[in-house]
Amino acid sequence: MNHPAHGKARITFVVAAIAVGIASTAMAAPKTIDLPPDGVQMTPSALPGYAKAQASCVVCHSAEYMLYQPPTAARPYWDSMVKRMKVVFKAPIDDADMPEIIDYLVKTYGNEQPK
Amino acid sequence: MNHSDTANPLRRRLVAGGAGLLAGAGASALSGTALAQAATVNLPMVNGKRNLVAYPEKRPLIVLTSRPPQLETPFEVFNESLITPNDAFFVRYHNAGIPTSIDADTHVIRIGGSACGKPYDLTMAALRSQFKPIEYLAVNQCSGNSRGLFNPRVTGGQLANGAMGNARWLGVPLRDVLARAELKSSARQVMFNGLDIALFGGGDFVKSIDVDHAVDGEVMLAYQMNGADIPMLNGYPVKLIVPGYYGTYWVKHLSEIEVVDQTYEGFWMKPAYRIPDNDCACIEPGTAPAATRPIGRFTVRSFITSLQDGARIKAGQQSVVRGIAFDGGQGIREVAFSTDGGQSWRGAKLGADMGRYSFREFTFGLTPERGNHDLRVRAWNRSGQSQPMDALWQPAGYMRNVVESVKVTAV
Repeated sequence: MNHPAHGKARITFVVAAIAVGIASTAMAAPKTIDLPPDGVQMTPSALPGYAKAQASCVVCHSAEYMLYQPPTAARPYWDSMVKRMKVVFKAPIDDADMPEIIDYLVKTYGNEQPK
Repeated sequence: MNHSDTANPLRRRLVAGGAGLLAGAGASALSGTALAQAATVNLPMVNGKRNLVAYPEKRPLIVLTSRPPQLETPFEVFNESLITPNDAFFVRYHNAGIPTSIDADTHVIRIGGSACGKPYDLTMAALRSQFKPIEYLAVNQCSGNSRGLFNPRVTGGQLANGAMGNARWLGVPLRDVLARAELKSSARQVMFNGLDIALFGGGDFVKSIDVDHAVDGEVMLAYQMNGADIPMLNGYPVKLIVPGYYGTYWVKHLSEIEVVDQTYEGFWMKPAYRIPDNDCACIEPGTAPAATRPIGRFTVRSFITSLQDGARIKAGQQSVVRGIAFDGGQGIREVAFSTDGGQSWRGAKLGADMGRYSFREFTFGLTPERGNHDLRVRAWNRSGQSQPMDALWQPAGYMRNVVESVKVTAV
């Protein structure tokens, strides 16, 4: 498969601005886009899982994935998602860090949020 | 946009947020992105506040996720026209490794697999010039469209009703592309992969359909959307179109087709995108399905588009209420409307038939008495399938198609 090169944490393309405006030549230019930054960040917390979640989760995806879940989302959901990220998507998460990450997620975004 | 501002809370909010260009007020000192980020919308669900941001080739859309981009179409777009503009069409990616620069002149679709007799590489130039193109209107809808409206709530992407759109697709039947590959008699499924990748190598987004479906002459490799290049975020330069089926099968940036002699069961076919294996694809809330199958065709849906829930309208004054209906490909036969919360029903007038995969317009006249009115619409397709009065439930939050209620007050 002929994938374009990807950076890991943030994808940046140097040629973004150049491709615009020279489309009238016979050889079509590549279509290039420049994506906006993340619209939300992870919710800060004194819980020890916060820093670990920042290191493990938002490397691959933005924080809306957590922030917009229904506040009824219970611990088994967060537990299964963190495990899915490692087992299915091969996210580099230490098994030892998982309990604190899950605890941060359910207490920050799920049904164990302080009322 | 010919709807009134009073009937449109989102538009009011955009204007109030400083989006002067949208309001036709002309030049502004701020960049488009900054303008869009100033705007938010509240979807009708707990925890439903969302940002509106203009992504490349897109107008400000509802941001479900920034990275990878998942963008929902603001619902009033569906009242602008029966064809959803490219810059308003919803976006759904699964992995963050999305292509941001593609040269269509060098893009290749690699065709092979264990049940492919004659593998070959298909360039965009060959796709455009060596096959007879077809064109049709078809709705694309996310499996999880309306997931955020489930009760009880389910986890996943919390969408309102805007993860759908209707577009004119131009391309080549997959059947003709596969004919050149000389499928073996053992061929069972066709797998599809695109340029988007998972950043750590697991969970690449690969989908499959049965070979009989793949060669039905309708499944298409599209290279144009509404008469223009497909927007990057919708799958430029070539996208698989599976009309009548949920968007999960409409693979973007199509780069690989494999014909195989078994049923493919990668993550995005199993356990993801499965529905309860029964007639209603539904179960009692909180329970687990006994068996599942891959999600398939759309259920029947209908929406009023000219009035939003909570709108105030003029008592005693006749107006035309309009909306859209669609289904999984039988075509819409009938739409009924009720102005009393479903107690009594009358037939709405259907608009022109633009094809059995397209949105179908309907209209009905309304002269409301002073007070509250609960407007409902319900569609039937040509095989008699319709919409439930009470919402069905399933754990993944797919296929919502309840009869919608739009409550208005006439003053």
